[in-house]
Amino acid sequence: MAGESNIRTALSNPAGWQSLLSFSILALAYLAAFSSRLFAVIRFESIIHEFDPWFNYRSTHHLVNYGFYNFLNWFDERAWYPLGRIVGGTVYPGLMVTAGTIHWLLNSLHITVHIRDVCVFLAPTFSGLTSIATYLLTKELWSQGAGLLAACFIAIVPGYISRSVAGSYDNEGIAIFALLFTYFLWVKSVKTGSIFWAGCTALAYFYMVSAWGGYVYIINLIPLHVFVLLLMGRFSYRIFVAYCAFFILGLLLSMQIPFVGFQPIRTSEHMASAGVFALLIAYGFLKYLHTHLSSLTKSEMRSLFFFAVAASAAAVLMAVVYLTYAGYVAPWSGRFYSLYDTGYAKIHIPIIASVSEHQPTTWVSFFFDLHVLVCTFPAGVWFCIKKINDERVFIVLYAISASYFAGVMVRLMLTLTPVVCILSAIAFSNVLERYLVDDTPKVHHIEDESEDDEEGDKRNKSKDLYDKAGKVRKIRHEPSGEPESLGGNVKTIVVMAVMMILMMFAVHCTWVTSNAYSSPSVVLASYNHDGSRNILDDFREAYYWLRQNTDDHSRVMSWWDYGYQIAGMANRTTLVDNNTWNNSHIALVGKAMSSNETRAYEIMKALDVDYVLVIFGGVIGYSGDDINKFLWMVRIAEGEHPKEIREGDYFTPQGEFRVDKAGSKTLLNCLMYKLCYYRFGEMQLDFRTPPGFDRTRNVEIGNKDISFQHLEEAYTTEHWLVRIYKVKKQDNRVRLDHTVRKTDIKPKTKFTSRKSGKRKRGFIKNKMLIKKGKRPSSKNKKPSRKTSSKK
Amino acid sequence: MASRVLIVLLAALVGVHAGGRTLVLLDNLAIKESHSVFFKSLADRGFDLTFKTADDSSLALIKYGEFLFEHLIIFAPSVEEFGGNLDTSALTEFIDGGGNILVAASSEIGEPIRELASECGVEFDEEKTAVIDHLNYDLADEGQHTLIVADPENLIDVKNIVGTKRDAPILFRGVGMVADTDNPLVLDVLTGSSTSYSFYPDEKVSEYPHAVGKNTLLVAALQARNNARVVFTGSLELFSDQFFTAAVQKAIAGAQKHDKSGNEAFALALSRWVFKEEGVLRGGVVKHHRKGEQEPPTAYTVMEEVVYSIVIEQLVNGKWVPFDANDVQLEFVRIDPFVRTTMQRKGGKFVAEFKLPDVYGVFQYRVDYNRLGYTHLFSTTQVSVRPFTHTQYERFIAAAYPYYASAFSMMFGLFVFSLVFLHHREDTKEKTE
Repeated sequence: MAGESNIRTALSNPAGWQSLLSFSILALAYLAAFSSRLFAVIRFESIIHEFDPWFNYRSTHHLVNYGFYNFLNWFDERAWYPLGRIVGGTVYPGLMVTAGTIHWLLNSLHITVHIRDVCVFLAPTFSGLTSIATYLLTKELWSQGAGLLAACFIAIVPGYISRSVAGSYDNEGIAIFALLFTYFLWVKSVKTGSIFWAGCTALAYFYMVSAWGGYVYIINLIPLHVFVLLLMGRFSYRIFVAYCAFFILGLLLSMQIPFVGFQPIRTSEHMASAGVFALLIAYGFLKYLHTHLSSLTKSEMRSLFFFAVAASAAAVLMAVVYLTYAGYVAPWSGRFYSLYDTGYAKIHIPIIASVSEHQPTTWVSFFFDLHVLVCTFPAGVWFCIKKINDERVFIVLYAISASYFAGVMVRLMLTLTPVVCILSAIAFSNVLERYLVDDTPKVHHIEDESEDDEEGDKRNKSKDLYDKAGKVRKIRHEPSGEPESLGGNVKTIVVMAVMMILMMFAVHCTWVTSNAYSSPSVVLASYNHDGSRNILDDFREAYYWLRQNTDDHSRVMSWWDYGYQIAGMANRTTLVDNNTWNNSHIALVGKAMSSNETRAYEIMKALDVDYVLVIFGGVIGYSGDDINKFLWMVRIAEGEHPKEIREGDYFTPQGEFRVDKAGSKTLLNCLMYKLCYYRFGEMQLDFRTPPGFDRTRNVEIGNKDISFQHLEEAYTTEHWLVRIYKVKKQDNRVRLDHTVRKTDIKPKTKFTSRKSGKRKRGFIKNKMLIKKGKRPSSKNKKPSRKTSSKK
Repeated sequence: MASRVLIVLLAALVGVHAGGRTLVLLDNLAIKESHSVFFKSLADRGFDLTFKTADDSSLALIKYGEFLFEHLIIFAPSVEEFGGNLDTSALTEFIDGGGNILVAASSEIGEPIRELASECGVEFDEEKTAVIDHLNYDLADEGQHTLIVADPENLIDVKNIVGTKRDAPILFRGVGMVADTDNPLVLDVLTGSSTSYSFYPDEKVSEYPHAVGKNTLLVAALQARNNARVVFTGSLELFSDQFFTAAVQKAIAGAQKHDKSGNEAFALALSRWVFKEEGVLRGGVVKHHRKGEQEPPTAYTVMEEVVYSIVIEQLVNGKWVPFDANDVQLEFVRIDPFVRTTMQRKGGKFVAEFKLPDVYGVFQYRVDYNRLGYTHLFSTTQVSVRPFTHTQYERFIAAAYPYYASAFSMMFGLFVFSLVFLHHREDTKEKTE
């Protein structure tokens, strides 16, 4: 805004108003996205949540302290004892590098922020960026109005908030932004066919690869898009240029991430992109030949062309299959198989099936996470199919594939959420366009309208701004005689209804965010009858106890869920953690937990375990404790040690998993049971229940008489949530393993102690009696009698 | 005067080193006389002996948290209750605190001794039983065949415990023992012959005897995990002057006659072992570093050459001297040993040089020298072995030359193409138009 005249023209210029409005809406969406994720920080504190974020935080801390190259080469000897973990080569570094860069930037501007705060607020910041990326993508696909709606939807939709609240410092937080931004650039490059946009797409893809394993989704969806376009006969050189540039650059860039390495050319997951690339080149070559072979007739040409394309497609497919069988290309990994066959993981890889977020999605959670959007989303798909073009093919494919994946795995709800927001925004935008637009012939009244209602000005076909909830526009014009136009009242009612739905959506989002997705899970809260709040800080209590009271190099054995937290908060060596890269090591820990104490001690000795940590929720009724996870430990252990551990042993003959008296003997005597319920049998929680009443499972425990031979209780937190045991050294002596034999062939000397507080004299059976004045009577006594028979 | 004080001090020091304070518990003080040769030998070797009867009301092993004695001799088989503060738990505490015990029992064995033995993994037979052997008994036997002539073949073949091999058999009369075969700490020092068994000598054998054949232990030893040593013998008379000097001849025709039994030599060797005069080792300074360096790095890298050295010393006549052996092994362990190598002696140190395996992880240098008759020497040092950093890989490998070639040819091609493109710009324009 250079001068007053400029401002004046800008004020009167509808385009200026429009961009100001869309800018402010986007800014508000950003703000909403950011601030709606702060519930946890306000209610609790600025703390890292859950499990994986603790590792991310710890490695970011390392990155910030020691620099990038040290981070890249970081060999973490405190994890996976005694195997160790090469962190630099087994991590997607995008998240840490992003946080580290922001921290460095702020600090070089002398804004001294602790790295923890950067980490805590990174996800909300990127959520704001996500909503902008969504706006851009939707704008490319449909219209600006739909874009603004989509930006607002994604800002508050619970399906995305679930992974990006403040403190949830995880890969997904930035990956969704990278995903949408890549898609936006891809759509842009398909539209323009320019190498510049394709290069940008590859760069965004590189960022995505560095941030999240879900990049595989992009590298399969984009080739699928190209392939479907080929099938639909929509081949154009724009697509050819865009895809070839993207594929080559993207391939090279993605291989720069150490964790990805040679996977893009060695695994089946990436073969689709290479195959489509080959096909596209073949297609392009045939097209080129086409222009030079003018001697053939058109129908001959077509059949030849069709045949050649089919042949090259078949050749590509055969090549991939051959390479897979020859071992050059790794077959599909188990994680991907489990996407295809939901029962696969349960049978073959219990460790994947044991994670709750890998379970199939329930119908409820679709509604819970997406609310009304899940209903309007098919309408959006329909609109896109109806007015199909190259880039809408893409969004339709995205919608179809993402809904399939979200149905298979709860976790992948996250990839579905953005497309639902986009397509719902398109649907809403269409509805509002139809019912909100003033369809009186514009030639008559356009002047006075624009003066009356500034917002009414900007109703172009594709530029509508409707997401300002509550501002129901006055529809003052009678319908004209055109056949499509509707009555004013009908319009008002429809618009009111839509607005109501959107308001309900906003209310639902806030409620879900505040109640379901804003718990740090490191700190628990419970409410009393009068509404006052109790903070259960047992986790940190236990971890700080470990930190303060144990040797720096102590090794703590726990189930893998707590590995990252122990490393992050207690700074102690762990045997297994949430990285779960080594199934047999986890199975070993599972075996120790599900064996009896003696066997477990042998394993713990071999692994140099100093402390054992278990989570026990029986006192406060916390359901996520180790006893409830125990069957998974058994299953995982059984997978590796089928001869020693059998799942059936832990069930009652009726096939129930019970911890009370009816439970199986194996269960009642295994290490995990003993660790959890040690001394619990003496504890009476209230007067209505017997002592040793487990509140989580609502039963009285079956084995109250628990004692340890090789372990001792080291620490139990206030609410018994975390229990820590010390592994004792080997016994100095080995006692007899049986009681001393006693026969009654000959009567024994009976003896009862005559010692008392004062009289300390002992007793000797054959006490020598000294009779003075006599010589020993004989010399030829038996030597064995010497002690007793000297007279 | 000063020199005398010095001498006294020296003597005290030597006393402390050579022997140590020893409490001797007796059934009665007459045993002191009847076993005088044994006690005199101990006193000559510098042990500070304190004689007490086992029921003495002032007995105590520990005072103000300190042990009053290093060693304990229990020559009180028939004690039913120790006097003072002494009981089985005090004795096991003494063992766990590093004290050494020599226990001699007899057929009059009382409960405390049996309890102590079972705490150590040895089971004495019951009171009034004896080891009986109808083939290997001495001529002087009185008809119950309980005066056993134990062949030296039945001794454990460990020089540190039983001394050098001798022909003279050992006289034994007393109670037998058994030990768990899977107990890793108990040593069968002297077993009965295959014809021996343990039962009441004056009763008919109505039940299966407690110990039969080679399972019958006459002398058993325990070296606890803290290297405390405990010896159990079933016969108090084994240590007596009478048995030391007795002539031995088996009561079978044509048996060789020995003028002097092997008891003295055996008893003294046993006492040398149990009171830590023989076979005591200690591990000293452990050093490990890369070959050609002096200080250990914070983490090794895979495939590096490393040098490990450990000082091992042996106690000989009260002095620590470098240990002489050629079977000390070093293991490099990550759950399983990845390297196992015998170390070389180099000037009082044991040294091993080897190449680290191509496996990363947290490893331990482990010296686990566990030989019969020696103290258990166990030393672990934890080190991390990390993989190559990104700068440590080979930079130019032959397999990559095609790629270098293609990169450079591409650059060259682009250069030529740009030249051609610039040069022929008008031609191409015309063509397209």
